[in-house]
Amino acid sequence: MSHQNHPHPPKLLLRFFRWFCHPDYVEDIEGDLVERYQGWVAQGQSPRWRFAREVLRLFRPSLIKPISNRELNNYGMFQSMMTMAWRNALRQKQFTILNLLGLVIGISTCLIIGLYIHDESSFDTFHEKSDRIYRVNQPYIWGDWNKIMATTGPNVAVALREDASEFEQITRILSLGPHTVAPASSANRSNSFKEDRVYAVEENFFDVFSFQFKTGNPSTVLADPLSILITEMTMIRYFGKESTPSEAMGKTIEIKQYDGSWKSFTVQAILENVPARSHIQFDMLVPLKSESEMMLANGWKWIWTGFATYGLVKEGTNVQALEKHIQTIPPKWAPPTTERIFNQSFEEFTGGHPWKLELQPLGEIYSAGSPTGHPFGPTGKPLFIKIFTAIGLLVLALSAINFMNLSTARATNRSKEVGVRKVLGSRRLTIVKQFILESVIFILSGTVLALIAVFLLISPFNDLADKQIDLIPYLRNPAFYLVLVAFVMISGGIAGSYPALYLSSFKPIESLKGIVKTGLNGRKIRNGLVIIQFTISIALIIATFFVQKQLTYASNVDIGFAKENILQLHNVGELGFDTEALKNKLDGYPEFTAVGKSFGVPPFVFSGDRYKSTEPEASVVQLSNLRIDDDYLEVLNVEFLMGRNFDSNRKNDRHKVILNRRALADLGWKLEDAVGNSVALASGGEEELEVIGVVENFNFNSLKEEIAPLILIHHYNDIVWDYGAGSSYYSMRLNPEAIATTEDLNQLLVALAEEMKTIDPTVPFEYSFMDQEFETTFQSERKMATILNVFTVMAMIIACLGLYGLAAFSAEQRTKELGIRKVLGASVVELSLAFSKEFTRLVFLAILLACPIAWYFVQQWLQNFAYKTPLEGWVFLVATAAALLISLATISFQSIRSANRNPVESLKDE
Amino acid sequence: MGKYQLGEFEEVVMLTVAILQGDAYGIAIIEEMQNRLDRKVSIGSLQTVLRRLEKKGYLQSEFGEATAVRGGKRKRFFSLTQHGQAILRETKEQRVGLWNAIPNYALNK
Repeated sequence: MSHQNHPHPPKLLLRFFRWFCHPDYVEDIEGDLVERYQGWVAQGQSPRWRFAREVLRLFRPSLIKPISNRELNNYGMFQSMMTMAWRNALRQKQFTILNLLGLVIGISTCLIIGLYIHDESSFDTFHEKSDRIYRVNQPYIWGDWNKIMATTGPNVAVALREDASEFEQITRILSLGPHTVAPASSANRSNSFKEDRVYAVEENFFDVFSFQFKTGNPSTVLADPLSILITEMTMIRYFGKESTPSEAMGKTIEIKQYDGSWKSFTVQAILENVPARSHIQFDMLVPLKSESEMMLANGWKWIWTGFATYGLVKEGTNVQALEKHIQTIPPKWAPPTTERIFNQSFEEFTGGHPWKLELQPLGEIYSAGSPTGHPFGPTGKPLFIKIFTAIGLLVLALSAINFMNLSTARATNRSKEVGVRKVLGSRRLTIVKQFILESVIFILSGTVLALIAVFLLISPFNDLADKQIDLIPYLRNPAFYLVLVAFVMISGGIAGSYPALYLSSFKPIESLKGIVKTGLNGRKIRNGLVIIQFTISIALIIATFFVQKQLTYASNVDIGFAKENILQLHNVGELGFDTEALKNKLDGYPEFTAVGKSFGVPPFVFSGDRYKSTEPEASVVQLSNLRIDDDYLEVLNVEFLMGRNFDSNRKNDRHKVILNRRALADLGWKLEDAVGNSVALASGGEEELEVIGVVENFNFNSLKEEIAPLILIHHYNDIVWDYGAGSSYYSMRLNPEAIATTEDLNQLLVALAEEMKTIDPTVPFEYSFMDQEFETTFQSERKMATILNVFTVMAMIIACLGLYGLAAFSAEQRTKELGIRKVLGASVVELSLAFSKEFTRLVFLAILLACPIAWYFVQQWLQNFAYKTPLEGWVFLVATAAALLISLATISFQSIRSANRNPVESLKDE
Repeated sequence: MGKYQLGEFEEVVMLTVAILQGDAYGIAIIEEMQNRLDRKVSIGSLQTVLRRLEKKGYLQSEFGEATAVRGGKRKRFFSLTQHGQAILRETKEQRVGLWNAIPNYALNK
């Protein structure tokens, strides 16, 4: 027969068919297949495709090979393995419990940390176009040009719309700052609220962001300049618990303007509450159009850096190229700003620094933690994530080590079992499989228990970490289980492999004779693992100590004035500029020893401007500024190094200024010469501001930062205008003797509230204590410290569980030895010491290793603070002593028990 | 009898086997069905049914002689068993009974 007449079907497919087909059917079906194929070839009907299709269609249950016998055998083996695992777990309850406990603690810690990290890294994913949204960041043009800030001037968006066609949409958000807002229904507007989270947004806001609507039309609602959009939560606040979105629609909300008038807005949309995982958090939105006058006057500016600018790029845009392209925009568009406002060329203003526009992907805005903050919501702490990841992995490593140690320690007890199995014909591989299966079962049950634990612990953790993590959505997500199963298999495999290889290596004859190869190797590895465990936990203990110490240190650091007992009254600015009447009343209170007004309060003095000395050729310096009245410095009680305070009797003082010592360094002045010198605004103001005094540096911002140069301006100064001028405060130093109890304080606050009400009932009464405000700047660090404490305790518990298990094992092994020693006359104390020595040595070694490691990391962390606690030796001593004590206590439980055992009993065995 | 109802495809396959009279092997059945019924059947679906019917005892099979044409593989010829014939007949009687029960005017219109 020639090849032409009988072409061969594709070999590979045919071989595949032979592999899967039932052996009884192979011959005739293959014959059929070949015949068909030849038929197709003869007709020229794409035979290969048809053939492949036919083969695939033969792959059906009734025609494939039955599952082979080999696996049936394995099933029996599998069953026997399960039985053995169960019996062993029951026989050695102590080990089982220790093992499981260690695993549960380790896995649940790891799970919680995993959930936390996932939560932190999945911000802003709810926006439909989240992968195409970018925020425009720029350098911090008010000082350090190397720093990046999240806001830009209003004109950046205009320029981008004009010059960068790659953007589908550009949208801006402006925080309108704290406003007093009231529902129109309330009489006298007495039902007013202080709203910080009112933002003005552009008409295309909802084309970019996907915040969900309850009622209202996203595409038209922002077209009406006097519409207002509120979240459901806000609706309940304004219109009561029973109000429904449809009822609230069309109601009027009034916002108090800076000039004291009220502007009415109509509720035209109710939004769902902003998801917790959004970097933009708001209570109400108004159209930017409502501020059209302001935008008309200032929209061309590049220095009104209150706007967050977002761009939605077109699909398939090369963002890197786009970012490169938009760098041409600032030199083209910013010069009018620098020239008209500062009388400087673009280059002079930037000082040669590139005015970079950076495109930050939406997904990174929260988690990158850089820029460190923005006015519209929270920013993540990448450092915390790093620390938590490290701790999660360490704790998991600890519990895996624990598991390995305890499993191998039990080796002797199971050597006979291994021996018998081998004699009966078990291969080494089978025994390895058995032990790996056992560890997988252990870890699986540990994981299930850990899930239950996490379920119970998630809400306390949420409180602790100030999070809103919910386990339920994860439990509904198949990917979550996939991760869990992968975790169980991988960690079970890894943690089980060492005991499995070790135990399966026993020689049957030896192990049946009872010669147990406890082998130096096994012990060495176990000891090594214990050392690693303790190194980790001791290092964590030391680190925790230092974190606590640093926080205590930082909150007690001398900040240049006594921040205790200062009560601050807010919203004074809303009473108008002249508040002498209120001041006179406050002065009358016997509880206050000093009363002063300021336009900003530490630690939140953020406004600043560019100044220069009036000497010729002077360079421009950036100074923070704070407007104060004659008495404010007296309230703070800061020290004057030179010159004098503002004096209410000298009318000219309103154009004088006071500097802090740090400012002198920037201006290049000596302390002796400073008084009498003058500064002027760098933006070209002619008026000179004469320096009449110099005060010692004091902290007017968070203690994490160095003290910045500061200029103190008289509150009636009409030359210097600053953005913070709108909000002012009265600060009162309390007389501790007049306020002895909390009751006194409460009465005082009630009286103050009444006082404010009589002056203007629409102004909300708000107050704060300065020392508490300083405390809040450390809030996130404190939270981290608490969480760190908890995890450190977890790590220590796991390490101790491991140590306890090993000690128990060793006690069992040495029963006879200790019995003989006792018979020969050793005392209980001697015996306990002899027993403990083995383990204390390990802990000492761990201490030696842990100290330098902890030292290194603590030092790294302290770099974040301007005021660092010294790395003192005693902390190391205390921490290690604590670790030593805990481990000794753990061991002593076993050592004392074995030392006290009656030798008759321990020796008569067998 | 009457416990097992033949499926439509099963019935067609058995009828085709009967038509082919001892010459009924895989490809022959497929081609016969193609010719008579214009119905395209894959080897997989046919073989599944053949094996099922054989297991039920409606069909029996035996190998033929090897030929060079099919890559040297033998054909498996299927034929009806007694039981299979009885089932087929019963199926036919059921159908005819149903047809006869239809009032004349229902289909003549």
